[in-house]
Amino acid sequence: MTAVETRGLGRRYGRTWALRDCTLEIPAGSVTALVGPNGAGKTTFLHLAVGLVDPSAGEVRVLGQDPRTDAAVLLPRVGFVAQEHPLYKSFTVAETLRLGRELNPTWDDELARARVGLLGLPLRKKVGALSGGQRAQVALTLALAKRPELLLLDEPVAALDPLARREFLQSVMEAVAESGMTVVLSSHIVADLERVCDHLVILGAGRTQLAGEIDEIVAAHRLLTGPRADAGEIARRHEVVRASHTERQTSLVVRADGHVYDARWELHELDLEEIVLAYLGREVSREREAVAS
Amino acid sequence: MIWLGFRQQRTETLVAGAVLLLLAALFIPAGVHLASFYAQDNVAHCLAHKSPACAQTLSDFGGRAGVLRSVMPWLTLLPGMLGVALAAPLVLDLENGTYRLAWTQSITRVRWIAIRFSLAIATALAVGGLLALLFTWYREPLDKVFGRFDGSSGFDLEGIVPIAYVLFALGLALAVGVAWRRTAPAVITSFLAYVATRLFVDGWLRQRFVTPLSRTWSISASGPAPRSLDNAWVLYSGLSDRAGHPFSGGYAVLQACGRVVYKGSKALNAHCLARHGAGFNTAVYQPASRFWEFQGIETALFAGLAILLLGLAVALLLRRPA
Repeated sequence: MTAVETRGLGRRYGRTWALRDCTLEIPAGSVTALVGPNGAGKTTFLHLAVGLVDPSAGEVRVLGQDPRTDAAVLLPRVGFVAQEHPLYKSFTVAETLRLGRELNPTWDDELARARVGLLGLPLRKKVGALSGGQRAQVALTLALAKRPELLLLDEPVAALDPLARREFLQSVMEAVAESGMTVVLSSHIVADLERVCDHLVILGAGRTQLAGEIDEIVAAHRLLTGPRADAGEIARRHEVVRASHTERQTSLVVRADGHVYDARWELHELDLEEIVLAYLGREVSREREAVAS
Repeated sequence: MIWLGFRQQRTETLVAGAVLLLLAALFIPAGVHLASFYAQDNVAHCLAHKSPACAQTLSDFGGRAGVLRSVMPWLTLLPGMLGVALAAPLVLDLENGTYRLAWTQSITRVRWIAIRFSLAIATALAVGGLLALLFTWYREPLDKVFGRFDGSSGFDLEGIVPIAYVLFALGLALAVGVAWRRTAPAVITSFLAYVATRLFVDGWLRQRFVTPLSRTWSISASGPAPRSLDNAWVLYSGLSDRAGHPFSGGYAVLQACGRVVYKGSKALNAHCLARHGAGFNTAVYQPASRFWEFQGIETALFAGLAILLLGLAVALLLRRPA
C-alpha cells in the first residue's frame, strides 16, 4: 500500500518549475522525511498532495485518491500543517479548537482537549500571544484531532528553538506510535530527522534525487578515498554521487551496488547527514557547471 | 461553520454596528426634532400655498436641520468604507496564509468560498439596508420641501441605492484583494476606485439615465417657477427665447434692460428682454416623479458591477495556483 504516489509530477509557476518530473512512492505506515534546500520543491510537493495546488504535469494520488477531484472525501483523511503553522492569531486556543470541531466531521474533541491539557496550553489565551513552540503544538493538535490517516508537515520545526523542536517531534512520534498513521515531513535540517523518520526523499532543484528506506540508504552509501585518480572505473559499476579531488587525493561518495572490491580505495561509512549533503552538493556543482558552460 | 464565518469577520461587523449605532444616536433625535418643526412651522400648508411669507418659512426649514444636513454629503462615503471593510477579513486570510489552514480542514474550498462570501454579502446588505432606512426616515420632512434629488445627500443616501453601493464596494475590495493578496493596499485602492466611480456616476452619468425634460415659461408672468419643477432635479436653468433656445445676447443687453427699482438695485425689464429674444426662462430637469426610476437604474448598475466583481473574485480563488 502506498500513501502518496506521484508519476512525472510537476508544478510550474510562470516559467519556473518549482517541482519537476517527480516520480516516487511513499509507503503507508512510513514516516518519511522530505529533504532538500530551500526552493527544492518540498512545499510545492506537499501542497500538491493536499490539493492546495493543481499539478502542471503528471499526477499525484494520495491514499488512492486524486486531491483535486476527490477533495471532499480525501480532506478528512489528511492532516496538514503548513509552513510557519498559520493560525488565526486573534482566536483563543479554545476558539481554534472549535474551528477544528466545526470544520471536521472526524474531529476527536477528547484527543484535542487531552493534548492541549497535557501541553499546558492556556485555552483562553489568544493564539497570537503564544510562543512559537506553543503555536506549533496548537497547529499539530488541529491536524491530529482530525484523526488523519496521513499527516503532512511542512517545515514543522524550522522556526522553533531546539527544545520546542524536540518536543514537537516527540509529539509526532507519540501520535504515530498510537495510530500508525503515515507521516511526511519536510525539513532542511537533517539532524532531527534521523530519530523520527524511517524513509527519506531528497529533493533538489525541483527533482527527486533519492528516495528510499533510511537504513538501506545508509547501508548502500560509502565514501571512497584514495590517491588522485579518475572515477571512471568505479562509475562503471557503482553510482558516483559526488567526486572531489585535492592535489593528491580523490574522494568519492558512491551508492554501491554490492561490495566495492578495489584495493586502491579505502572505504568509509557515511552517516545520513553526510549522504544528504553529498546529494545536495551534487546538485550545486551541476548548477555551477550549467552556469559555467 | 456559520459561527466561524461570523467569528472571522467579527471586528468588521462590530465596527459597522458601532457606526450604525452612532449614526442612529445622532439622526434619530434630530429626525424627531425635524418632524416636529415640520408640523409646528406649518410647512405642509406652505408647500401648498406659495405666499411670500411661506417662501421664507420653506427656506428657513433647511436651517432647522442644522449642521447635520451639511454633514450628510460626507456620509455618502460611508457605504464605501463599510463595504471595503467587510472584504478585509477574507483578504487577510490570503495575506496571512491562514487560508491554507481553512482549505486543508475537511471542508472543500468551494463550500468555504460559498459560506464566507454569503456572510459578507448578507452583512453588506444588512448594513446598506439599515443606512438607507435611517436616512430615508430622517430626510422625510426635508424631502417634502427640497425633493429627493436634493444635492448629493438625498438621492445617494435614500431608497435602495445605499445597499447597492455597499455591495459594490465589497465586490471591488474582494476582487482587488484576491488578486493582490495585500489587505491594506487593496482596501485603500478599492476605496479610491469606489469614490472615483461614484463621482463619475453622480456628476456625469446619472443625469443621462433618462432624457431630461425641458420647460419654458415667460418671465413676465413674474410668478414662481412652474409646479412641475417642484422638487425636481434641475440640471440647467436660464434665460431663453420662446422656443427655449438659450439667451446669448450677453451682458450688454442685460445692462440695457436693467432699470433701477431701488437704490443700488436693478431689476430686469421683461418687455425689454422679450424684445431682445430673452423673455423666457428655460429649465432642463428630471422631474421628482422619476426618483424611483432613477433609484432602480442606479441600483441595477452598482449591483450589476458588484455581481461581476464578486464573480471575478470567486473565479480567482477557484483557480488553483494558491
